Amino acid sequence: MEVLLFGILAEKAGSDRVEVQVTSIAQLRQAMAEQIPGLERIDHLIAVDRVVVHDDRPLNGREEIALLPPFAGG
Amino acid sequence: MSDVKTHKVKDIFVEGPIDPAFIATSIAKHATRMDIGAHEIFLGQVRADEHRSSNSAVRSVGAIEYTAYRDMALERMTAIREEAFAKWPSMTCLHVHHSLGTIRAGELCFLVFASAPHRAAAREAVAWVVDRIKAELPIFGREVLSDSTHLWKTNS
Repeated sequence: MEVLLFGILAEKAGSDRVEVQVTSIAQLRQAMAEQIPGLERIDHLIAVDRVVVHDDRPLNGREEIALLPPFAGG
Repeated sequence: MSDVKTHKVKDIFVEGPIDPAFIATSIAKHATRMDIGAHEIFLGQVRADEHRSSNSAVRSVGAIEYTAYRDMALERMTAIREEAFAKWPSMTCLHVHHSLGTIRAGELCFLVFASAPHRAAAREAVAWVVDRIKAELPIFGREVLSDSTHLWKTNS
């Protein structure tokens, strides 16, 4: 499944999207840590279908997944 | 006005800075609404913050390049609008615009404009909506510094 990246995370990854094969949020966190250098030092949130999620949960592969760095609007 | 108290998804994003003349026109459009007694407006302006680098050189922010996760931002904004109209039912209308792209220091990047019969609802709603947008909308800011390096802005 595709993961959308924004801001500093897109910059670090060198792309605004990456492809991962995962079936849960926990697996997603691990896969992203391997794909984005220094991810553990960058505050970020995970959004599933445009809603921020904090806890582990299964993913069926059809969700819209995004990694969001700190917000800076306003 | 066509958008009074409607809760459909509206696009808040504009490419480039917000033109002060656009704000004046927007105010003028409310002249036909005889039930309005108060307007409250918040404007965000790009500030030339100074950052000190590791060798103590001071670099100032020359511009912010804004990007957004547009679909999520508009969904969150729709929910915030609905909550605002529920909290301040007397509010006549609420207009929100946020810039994308490069906005130079001194230019306007954010507008929240509420109108109501009386000032309390307009004032309170604008303060609340501004805080919610800053905390919840996935908008990202790349600060371009005077030495052509950059930093990523974070709302505190």
